[in-house]
Amino acid sequence: MKKIWWAQIKAVIRLEMKKTFFAKRGLWIYVLAAMPVMLFVAYAIVSSHQQSRSANIARQGERQLSYQDLRAVHSGMTTEEVIAALGKPSASFDWSENRPSPTKPGVILNVLHEDYHYSDGQNDLFVGIADGKVENIHIRHANNLGQDSIMFAGVFQFFFLRLGIFFGCLGIFMNLFRGEILDRSLHFYFLAPVRREVVMAGKFLAGLLATCTIFVTSEILQTVAFLWHFPAGARDVYLYHNHGLEHAAIYLGVTVLACVGYGAFFLVAGMMFKNPILPAAAILIWEGINPFLPAVLRHFSVIYYLKSLCPVDIPSPPGTSPIFALLVSNADPVAPPIAIVGVLVVALIALYVSSLQVRRLEINYTAE
Amino acid sequence: MAIYRRNYKPYSGTTTPEWSRFLVLFRYSRRNLFRSKFMTAFFVICFFYPAVCLAVIYVAHSASFLAQFGLPGGILSIDNKFFYAFISVQGVFAFLLTAFAGPGLISPDLANGALPLYFCRPFSRAEYVLGKSSVLAILLSQITWVPGLVLFIVQASLAGASWTWTNLWIAGSLVLSSLLWIAILSLLAMALSAWVKWRIVAGALLLALMFFGAGFAQAINAVLRTESGHFLNVAYLMETVWNSLFQVDATHAIPVSQAWIALLLYCLICLALLMRKVRAYEVVQ
Amino acid sequence: MNDRIIFEDVSKFYGEILGVNRVNLSIPPGITSLVGPNGSGKTTLMNLMTGLVRPTRGRIQVLDYSIDDPENLFKIVGYSTQFDSFPKGLTGFQFVYSYLRLGGRDSQSAEQLAWRAIERVNLVDAAKRNVAGYSKGMRQRIRLAQALSHEPKVLVLDEPLNGLDPLARSEMIALFRSTAAQGCYVIISSHILHEVDVISDQVILLSNGYVVAEGKIQNVRSEIQEHPTQILIRCHQPRELAAKMLEYPHTIEVSIHKDERGLLLKTRDADRFYLAMNEIALSGIDIESVAPADDDVLSVYEYLIGSEEVVR
Repeated sequence: MKKIWWAQIKAVIRLEMKKTFFAKRGLWIYVLAAMPVMLFVAYAIVSSHQQSRSANIARQGERQLSYQDLRAVHSGMTTEEVIAALGKPSASFDWSENRPSPTKPGVILNVLHEDYHYSDGQNDLFVGIADGKVENIHIRHANNLGQDSIMFAGVFQFFFLRLGIFFGCLGIFMNLFRGEILDRSLHFYFLAPVRREVVMAGKFLAGLLATCTIFVTSEILQTVAFLWHFPAGARDVYLYHNHGLEHAAIYLGVTVLACVGYGAFFLVAGMMFKNPILPAAAILIWEGINPFLPAVLRHFSVIYYLKSLCPVDIPSPPGTSPIFALLVSNADPVAPPIAIVGVLVVALIALYVSSLQVRRLEINYTAE
Repeated sequence: MAIYRRNYKPYSGTTTPEWSRFLVLFRYSRRNLFRSKFMTAFFVICFFYPAVCLAVIYVAHSASFLAQFGLPGGILSIDNKFFYAFISVQGVFAFLLTAFAGPGLISPDLANGALPLYFCRPFSRAEYVLGKSSVLAILLSQITWVPGLVLFIVQASLAGASWTWTNLWIAGSLVLSSLLWIAILSLLAMALSAWVKWRIVAGALLLALMFFGAGFAQAINAVLRTESGHFLNVAYLMETVWNSLFQVDATHAIPVSQAWIALLLYCLICLALLMRKVRAYEVVQ
Repeated sequence: MNDRIIFEDVSKFYGEILGVNRVNLSIPPGITSLVGPNGSGKTTLMNLMTGLVRPTRGRIQVLDYSIDDPENLFKIVGYSTQFDSFPKGLTGFQFVYSYLRLGGRDSQSAEQLAWRAIERVNLVDAAKRNVAGYSKGMRQRIRLAQALSHEPKVLVLDEPLNGLDPLARSEMIALFRSTAAQGCYVIISSHILHEVDVISDQVILLSNGYVVAEGKIQNVRSEIQEHPTQILIRCHQPRELAAKMLEYPHTIEVSIHKDERGLLLKTRDADRFYLAMNEIALSGIDIESVAPADDDVLSVYEYLIGSEEVVR
C-alpha cells in the first residue's frame, strides 16, 4: 500500500470519528450497547440482594438447614410435620380464601393459607400450605456460576450478537455513505485527490473502530457485571480453572469479528440501496433462517461462522420444539481457524463489492 | 372613464369542508408511496395469503373437491383458529409494510422544515397527525380487516345462517384486533420518525424495537428469572390480546388485561412524543 | 501533453431526463463562463468535468487526466459546488484543512495552505467559527477557499458570486482574473450576465442540455446572421448621417439617440457598413466614435436562448 494512501485513510478516519462517536443521531447505538450491561448490573444487584436475604433467613431460622433438609419437604405433609422437620420458619405469611367445597356443592369454605420461607443460606424453599397441608413447593436455587455462564452465553449468542451488534452495525455502517448522501456532504470526499476506494477503506475502518470500541466495551462491562456478585473464590475458579478467562477473550474476539462481518455487509447495503432498511430486514431474516438453509448457502452468512466460534454450547431446554432446537444447536460447526477465515472472506467479498460500487457512485442528491 | 382601486380581496369562493382537509395529506402521501415499484409489488404480495385463505374456504365447502382426494367433509374447519392464523400472518405483512412506508411520512417534513408551511394554514397539529396516520391506517386496513371481513362474509354465505350467528363475534374480533395493531404500528412509526427526523434511522429503529425488543425481553426473563420482560415485547403483548379476542387456548406469561394496558401505554407515549415534536416551530440550541 | 479540457460527444441522462446531449467542447486556459437558463445543463457539465456524475456516452479529459482518476485529477482541479451543505461540526478552517489532509498533505503544509486560501477569500476572522453558523456569503467564500486551497490549475466554480455582497463580488472577480492571468483554467457558471460579460474570455451558452454557442463573445455574435448587427455611432450631425446611411441597402433601421448626438443603426452586413463609414467620414460628417451595441453576452443570450431567464 502506498504511504500516501495510509495518510489519506487516517485523514478520513479522523473526520469520521467525530461523526460516528458524537453524533446525536447515533445516541441510540450507545443505548443498544448499554442495555445488556444494565441487564447484568440488575442481575448482580438482584442476586446479591437474594443472597443476603437467604443468608438472613437461614441465620434467623430455628435451626441450621442443609439442602437435603429443604428437599425432604413434599406435598401432603401437615404443618406440624414441616415444622418438625425444618423448625419454625423465620419468614411466613398467611391469608385466607373463600373456596367452594369440593364435596358439598353450594357450600363455601374458608381456607387458611400459610406461606413458609426457609433457606440453607444459599437455596430458598417456599412452601405453600392450605388448610394445614402442603399444597405447593418451590425451591429457588442459589446462583451457580457454571449454570449462569450458560445463561450468559445464551444472552451473548441470541441477544447481543444477533441483535445488539447487528443493529449497532446497521446504524453506524449504513450511515457512512447513505447518511452523507442524505446530508448532501458526500461530494466533499469525492472532490479530494484521493481514490474512492481509499475513502471507502477509511470510512470502513472508522466504522469498525467505533463499533468495536462501543461493543467491546459493552462486552467487557457485561462480563464484569455478570461476575461481580459471585464470591472471589468461585470467580477465580471459573476464570482460571474453568476456562472463564478464555471464554471472555473469545467473546471479545467474536464481537470484533461480528463488527467486521456485519459492518462490511451494511457498508455495501448503504451504498447500493436508497432505502437500506429493506436489505437490513433481508439480512436479519437471512441470518435468522441460516440453520434451515442448505449447507452451501449457510456459508454465506456471518452468524454461521460466529456461532462456530462461540465457546459454550447452549443446550435446548427440555421439551423445546425441533425448530427451536435447530436454531439453538450448531449442527454443522466449522473449526475456529476456518470460521475466522470464513468471516474475513465474507467481509472481504462485501468490501470488494463496495469498492466496485463506490467507483460507480454518482452525486445526485436530488434523486434521494 | 372609471378608476378601479386595486385592493386586497380575500378568496370568496366555496371551500372544502373542514373535516375533510386532512385527506389532502393522505392523497399526496399515498401517491408518493406508490411511486416506488417495490412498494406496489409488496402491496400486491400482501394479498397472496388472503387469496390462499379464500381458496381454502372454497375447498372446505366443496364436498366434490374433497371427495376427489378421498377426504372427509369436515377436515378443513373454518373457525376462530383459522381467522386467528389469518390475522397473525397479515399482521406480519402489516409490520413490514409499516417499516417501509411509515418512517417516510413525517421525517422529511421535519428534516426540511416544512411544518411551519402546514401550520400557517388553517390546519391543526391533530389534523396533520390524522392526515399522515390515515395513510397507514387505510393501507394497513386494506390488508388486514378488510380482506378478513371479505373472508368472513364468503364463509358465512357458504356455511349458512347458523354458523354466521354463532361466529359473528369473530368478525368483531377481526376488526378490533386489526385496528389495535394498525394504531400501534402507525403511532410507533410516526413517533419514531418524528423523533429522529431521519427516514432511514426511523426505519431501523422500528425494526430494532420489534426484533431487539423481543430479544431483550427474552434476555430479561432469562437473566432475572421473571416474566416482566414481556412488557418490552410489543409483538408478544399483541399476541396475548389476539389470543383472548379470538378465544384461542394458549398460556401466556402475562394477564390479558395487563397486555391491553401496556399496549395502550405504548400508544399514549407515541402520541405524547408526536405532540412534542410536531410543532410549527423548533427550538434550536 | 494536452492543454485543454475536452468533451467528446458527451451525453448525460438521468433516467429519462436529459442532462446534456452531444456536447463537444475544447476549453482553453482563461475564464470560461457557462451561461444558460435554469436546467440548461450548466451544473451537469461541471459535475461531469469533475467526475461527480458519469457520462452516459462520450469521453471527458481534463488536461492529461481522465475523470476516473480522482487521485490525480483533483491535484489539478478545485471545484466549488452549488451544494450548500458541509460535513457536520467543522469550523471554516477545519473544512479547508481537512480537505488538504485528505489529499495527503502533512499537517504543517495543510495548515499553511488553508490559512493562505482563507486569507484570499477574506474570511480569517470567521475561520475558527463553525460553518453551520456562517451566512450564505461566508459559506460561499469558504467553499471557494477550499477549491483554491491546493492551488489548482483548473478551477471550476458553480455560481460563485451567489450570495456575495457587491464588495465581495468585485474582490472575487479580481481573484478569478488573477488566477486566470497565471495561465489557469477558470470555469464559471452564472446567471448574472453583465458580470459574465465583464470577466469572461470565452462563453459557452447552454439551452435544454445542448451547447448553443461557444467561443469569444464577439465571434459568437458575428456568427448570428438572423439578427442584424446594432451599431452606436456618436456624431454631431446625427440626422444628416442617418439620411446618408439609409441610402445603403444593407441598412435596415436607424434611430436618433435621445441626446441628439448620435444614432443607433441596424445593419445586416457589418463589413459593408464599415466600408460605407469610411466613405461617409470622407464626406465631411464628423464622427466621434463607432462601437458595436450588441456583441455582449446579454444580447447573444437573448438572440440564442430568449429573454425570459435573463438576469441583467
